Amino acid sequence: MRRAFNALRHNPVWVAVALLYCVAGLVSPAMLKTEQVLNILQVTAFLGLVASGQTIALLVGGIDLSVAGVVTMTNILATSLMMGQNERIAPAVAICIALGVAVGIINGILVAFLRVAPIIATLAMNAILFGAALVYTGGAPFGSSAPAFNQLGQGSVLGLPASALCWLVVSLILAYAMRRTTLGRWIYAVGANEIAARFMGVPTRLVLVLAYSLSALFAVLGGLLITAYIGNPSLGIGNQFLLASVVAVVVGGTALTGGIGSVVGTIAGALFVTLLNSFTNIAQASTGAQYVIQGVLIAFSVIIYRVIGESAETR
Amino acid sequence: MINKRIDRRTLLGWGAGAAAGAVMLPRLSLADVISNAKIEASSEMSKGVNKSGKLRIGFSNGFSGNTWRTQNLASMQTEAGANADRYELITVDGQGDITKQVNDIEDLIAQNVDALLVIPNSGTAVVPALRKAMKAGIVTIPFNLPVEGDNWTAFIGTDPKKKGATTGKFLNDALGGKGKIVALGGLPGNSYTAECWAGAQTEFAPGIEVLAFKDAHWQEDKAKVVMADLIAAYPEIDGVWCDGGQDAAGGLKALMAANRPLVPVTGDDYNGLLKLYDKEKGNNPKFKIGCVSEPTWEGVVALRTAVKLLSGEDQPKRQIISPVLMDGSNYEQFIKRDLPDGVFVDTLLTDEELKKLFS
Repeated sequence: MRRAFNALRHNPVWVAVALLYCVAGLVSPAMLKTEQVLNILQVTAFLGLVASGQTIALLVGGIDLSVAGVVTMTNILATSLMMGQNERIAPAVAICIALGVAVGIINGILVAFLRVAPIIATLAMNAILFGAALVYTGGAPFGSSAPAFNQLGQGSVLGLPASALCWLVVSLILAYAMRRTTLGRWIYAVGANEIAARFMGVPTRLVLVLAYSLSALFAVLGGLLITAYIGNPSLGIGNQFLLASVVAVVVGGTALTGGIGSVVGTIAGALFVTLLNSFTNIAQASTGAQYVIQGVLIAFSVIIYRVIGESAETR
Repeated sequence: MINKRIDRRTLLGWGAGAAAGAVMLPRLSLADVISNAKIEASSEMSKGVNKSGKLRIGFSNGFSGNTWRTQNLASMQTEAGANADRYELITVDGQGDITKQVNDIEDLIAQNVDALLVIPNSGTAVVPALRKAMKAGIVTIPFNLPVEGDNWTAFIGTDPKKKGATTGKFLNDALGGKGKIVALGGLPGNSYTAECWAGAQTEFAPGIEVLAFKDAHWQEDKAKVVMADLIAAYPEIDGVWCDGGQDAAGGLKALMAANRPLVPVTGDDYNGLLKLYDKEKGNNPKFKIGCVSEPTWEGVVALRTAVKLLSGEDQPKRQIISPVLMDGSNYEQFIKRDLPDGVFVDTLLTDEELKKLFS
């Protein structure tokens, strides 16, 4: 019993994923099919990558609402630069990454040096990016991604979706780096207490800039994968990540106040959110009900983590 | 109420209403007029007013930025450019904001425009502003999306319920009145999809079983994700009803990813859907498309109606466009193989103009 409680305490989100999957399987046996599991993994990759980056923003005590704009920008740029040609993949990807990181650096400078509240700085950036995408396309997006590139979003390796492998490998590297590198420890330190971190000699401003750059970089990667999944440009493609990326991170156990949480938790959080969407699709819940469930979930998981946190402190 | 049928080719070709048979207006090239949509006019007429000199026509666009709005605006600008000696077109963009659009309309009234064209963000919020414009003697023409009441001079648009009935009938007939279908709609809660879907359902025979209706946001990626879930849930899907071509294309891509044969689908004049049909019909004997457009030239009809009213001609209070059904038999007329998927092909713009727009 105690061991079960401990497992729950340390990994509540994984337990939640398992529980949700069982419930979903009982209600809709279609959820248990191998193809459906692979389908869910394939689709989770997009949100998973964006949310992994969002985790870093939350860990430093901020938030990155520009991920939606970064995904849209990536999708519009990648398709218009590739124009369906394989030999253009490399430059297109390089330009997307470079621009994405530039966006992250600007976000970081706004937050770290100009002391703009993260929610405002990144929301403004989101508006700028969406506006820029509109200006760039004139409202008429064009181009398509290259066939070889589409394999990343649509193909599979050893029976597993390529997109899921990309997501898991990259996110696990990030998770490892967060635990084992100095930068990782600095990120936690800045999020836990920025002033204390500065006194300990942590270059807090640099850490903030790097954190927002990482967040933007992962949003670019997520944007590239969803572009490979669908092959076409769409000006609305990023919007779905604005709220969902924050939900996945919070459900995954990362605190909105910073300093607490993990990328591994976010992997589970992204799985949970996607699984829930898929389940509610199959179980015929309306879109309205899906939104309500998502909203309730954010509030509920914050409460659960607080209760668990307090029970851990009193032991 | 409907007493006149105007062939769109006639209307767009001769500019002047065939019904009124009046003055000939400068016109666009006919080269790209390919849809023979019918425009049904109400018997109720609005009085024209005679204004001389160069006219000023304001257009309050609720928002811009999707492909339809872009093509519509470009068509209007082309039309205005060709008639620059007769009128000037002043465009303002509501940026999707209900309040901003009301302010935009007030500004246009203050600028003393002769006519005011509107695609409303909200069919109720613009009512007082349009009433004020009417009182100021301005010809007001909402189009594309409806406005509550009748405090406006003329309305131009389609009837979503009828369009839904057309695609519903197509799907029903394609399946011989028997089969299991899923439906993919647009943005959650939008009234266009609701009316289309209501119209479609009136045409389904009892043998048509609707497995699910899901919102797919008129986005290929959303539609593909939702459809993948539906494919897992239902081993047999014989047809897909959609009110938009992006939904249809995304749904079809999910079927292809699951190695399922392609089935009859409905949609609109989204080039990507026509291209997909063109490419895959040979491999999929059951694959059929039935599409009804929301013409991107609605704004041009609105402009011409405004000019006619301001030239003293009476005009129908309501003009309802019934676009032609695009299917396997006539899609070759519409498809634009060298242009991006995003193009809506029921357009007055030439391929050259479209190429410039989509680059």
